[in-house]
Amino acid sequence: MSVELTLNGQPASLASPKDTPLLWALRDEKSLVGVKFGCGAGLCGACTVIVDGQQTRSCQTMVGEVAGKRVTTIEGLDGGVARAVIDGWIKAQAPQCGYCQPGFVMAATSVIAADPKANRDSVLSQLTNICRCGTYDAIRDAVGHALVALNGAPQKQGSAQ
Amino acid sequence: MSDVRKPSRGARIARRTFLTFAGIVGGGLLVGAGALAWRLKTIDGYKLPAGDGEASFGAWLRIARDGKIEVVVPHQDMGQGIYALAVLLAAEGLKVAPDAVRAVPAPIDARYANPVMLLDGLPMDDAALSAPQRATLWTFDKLVRALGLQATGGSTSTRNITGPIRTAAASALDALTRAAAQRFGTPVETLKIAGGTITAPNGKHASYGELAADAALFSPRAIAVPPLAAGDYIGRGAPRFDVPPKVRGQARYGIDTREAGQLYAAIRHAPRLGGRLAQASMPAGVAGVRGLVKGGDYVAVVADSYAAAMAGLDKAEVRWDDAKALNVSTRDVFDAYRAALDKGTAYKPRWVVDSAGDLAKAAGKEVRATYTAPFLAHATMEPINATALVTDAGVKVWAGHQSTSLVQLLAAGAAGIESAKVEVVTPYLGGGFGRRADLGYVAKAVEIARQFKGTPVQTIWSRAEDIRDDVFRPAAMADVSATLGGDGLPTGFLYRVAVPSITDQFVARVLPSAKGGLMADRTTVDGAVFPFYGLPNRSIENFTVDSGIPVGFWRSVGYGLNCFFVESFIDELAVAAGATPLAYRARLLAAAGDYEPARRASALLARMQAYDQATPLLPPGKGAKAGRGFALTECFHSFVGQVADVEVTGGEIRVKRVHAVVDCGFAIDPPNVVAQVRSAINYGLTAVLYGKVDFDQGKVVPTNFDSYPVLTLDLAPQISVDVANSGAALGGVGEIGTPAIAPAVANAVFAATGKRMRALPFDLQVS
Repeated sequence: MSVELTLNGQPASLASPKDTPLLWALRDEKSLVGVKFGCGAGLCGACTVIVDGQQTRSCQTMVGEVAGKRVTTIEGLDGGVARAVIDGWIKAQAPQCGYCQPGFVMAATSVIAADPKANRDSVLSQLTNICRCGTYDAIRDAVGHALVALNGAPQKQGSAQ
Repeated sequence: MSDVRKPSRGARIARRTFLTFAGIVGGGLLVGAGALAWRLKTIDGYKLPAGDGEASFGAWLRIARDGKIEVVVPHQDMGQGIYALAVLLAAEGLKVAPDAVRAVPAPIDARYANPVMLLDGLPMDDAALSAPQRATLWTFDKLVRALGLQATGGSTSTRNITGPIRTAAASALDALTRAAAQRFGTPVETLKIAGGTITAPNGKHASYGELAADAALFSPRAIAVPPLAAGDYIGRGAPRFDVPPKVRGQARYGIDTREAGQLYAAIRHAPRLGGRLAQASMPAGVAGVRGLVKGGDYVAVVADSYAAAMAGLDKAEVRWDDAKALNVSTRDVFDAYRAALDKGTAYKPRWVVDSAGDLAKAAGKEVRATYTAPFLAHATMEPINATALVTDAGVKVWAGHQSTSLVQLLAAGAAGIESAKVEVVTPYLGGGFGRRADLGYVAKAVEIARQFKGTPVQTIWSRAEDIRDDVFRPAAMADVSATLGGDGLPTGFLYRVAVPSITDQFVARVLPSAKGGLMADRTTVDGAVFPFYGLPNRSIENFTVDSGIPVGFWRSVGYGLNCFFVESFIDELAVAAGATPLAYRARLLAAAGDYEPARRASALLARMQAYDQATPLLPPGKGAKAGRGFALTECFHSFVGQVADVEVTGGEIRVKRVHAVVDCGFAIDPPNVVAQVRSAINYGLTAVLYGKVDFDQGKVVPTNFDSYPVLTLDLAPQISVDVANSGAALGGVGEIGTPAIAPAVANAVFAATGKRMRALPFDLQVS
């Protein structure tokens, strides 16, 4: 009994048991390894995907829960907001080891897509992911770049440096 | 005042011990000077292999079939950007844009040894070397090169490869130019070099790729390279090539290894450290499970998917044997430290690693304090994992790691084959911080895969297992005391730190037959020995106390511990002397006399003073208190000063802003120096605010980011970095931001509240 869903814009089915964390179904069954394992407990956000527009920790979401839903991973991220976020991240040269960054990009994309006029602090307050390299100043810059690209007007808050 | 630079008795003892050690290493390794010279010549003659259409220019550069210049990097990239730095060096030297260069992992060969890492560990003051010490270093450098250990750590990568890559690039460009001169029949001086093309006066031109085969036939000439200075890319930086794939989720880490037919293993270790597996069995018919592997201190379940392996692990029936398990709890460790320090000079092993003058003659007002730091986990974002394939021909390992040589050694040991039959594939590392220098996990992954010959098996540590199986930053306790003269400056300084030897434990894990305890563990006294302050009568002592808890190298290693203890104590001395922290440090540096580290530290202190005057303290929120703290350190041959602004509300410490001034000699890639310093400060802040791994009767208490919290975006300070280089020899960068943040914050909390934080992590209720 497989689960049918829309995965990265395409109809797809997951054969993993319904009580399998979505994270492992995506990584092991679908080889979507841009979705990262960090803690397995919903604490770090490395496994963030977007489910029906919401940033979602795939290690805490079971396969059975996404039946009929739209699931997007970093591999399928597309659209104006996503491009602005990715470009902002690259402009800020945010990653170091880089392992947590797709999760941050997914979370930021979902938050900004839900409210493109949000200010930087509001977006940042909804990024509760963990980065052990401590790239937080660069992530603040990255979100700032993305909002400027989307809204034209420079944000009031200056860059971190 | 006695001469503070004269080699002290302690240094003499350390040197003698070291010479004995070097003799043993050298003697065991080689038969004599002739053999050593022969081996080094063989190593130096190494040339990169070149296939059809490729041209090799020695050990560091190759021009590939597609015309790209390949620079080899014998280090792992765990986020520090060493691959990007190698690209900058090669691009600058060969006068091409960075996108004409590709960085590739170096082959496994002694040519790519990292002697810097091991030489940094010797107990001697590099800024004041005696002639015998210089000779010893020279000899040791040769021995280490002959050993050929390829490794990444100790903030050494840039120092290790910058010279060789610059020299190789100059030599390769010389050969390309000569090839062009020959082809066009015109003198070298008339040629124009730009954008990877060499053009003759008559307009004829050829690309490096077209000239490569001819150029590779010239015997390479040694071309002198000028001192490091800003160029097109060096001293400026360029966008990192690894950034776009990392942002887009295309970068592949060890855990992303996907080989045909691959199986997955979930591993579980004995709940108590030192516990052994007594019995384990797997009920039949568990979905997806292929088998169970019994290890010495672990059990692993192998399945078609990791989810199935984890589910299988929960169904396995496992019994542990605790007969030899550790029974130690956190309190026992600190009790043992207290008892050792209380024994004083009667305690063994006690190492006087650095001393000067005569403490007995010191007199004045006495100040003393005791500081502590707990055990810490690395908690890299990518949990520990390794993939192994065991066949009759050998072993192939895919893993993030910090030493190709040690992966080979440990994988070979686990498979019962020779090292040369181990092939190592190194994807990106999802964090290293010293954790991936301890490669027991590779041995375990090979043991597990050995039971599934011919099939690649990926073993993944859950987050709880990642913490349980860590090698922790050691807990430490320091008794620090000083006597202050009438001018408020120290007449005597006694520093005693109780801590296990990381080096002894590390060596024992890699070479179980090796004898430890032969010399002081420099890595755990770094940050206290050879101070840049004028401390005329001093004794810096290491009390080695091992509680059996596995300890390892954690970003900034001993500097992270001792800089907190020393720079907090210097602040306490300033208070006792009635001086401001900055003015007091300036006087202490002046008291060091003619000493290069003191001059470099003074230059940074002046910039900290200027920043302090120009930048008002952030006003505190309602009901909060604000304070600013300072700290200064030398680490990994670089110098760092930090100014931290904190806000204290009730029992909560919030670090609002940090300003760092950095002298790493010369910044080859300045944007990345800024990024690394910010990173290391935030890494250190986790230790300041939360970091603590407790042990309960041999059990590791924390299991995940809820019980081992780490710094998050909302609480991360705004960090500015002033790269203020002296032009001195290159220093390290990757770890240098970590040490000074703890004392800077402690001193800021004191400025705000009058409460002195002497125990990490800081807790206003306890102190």
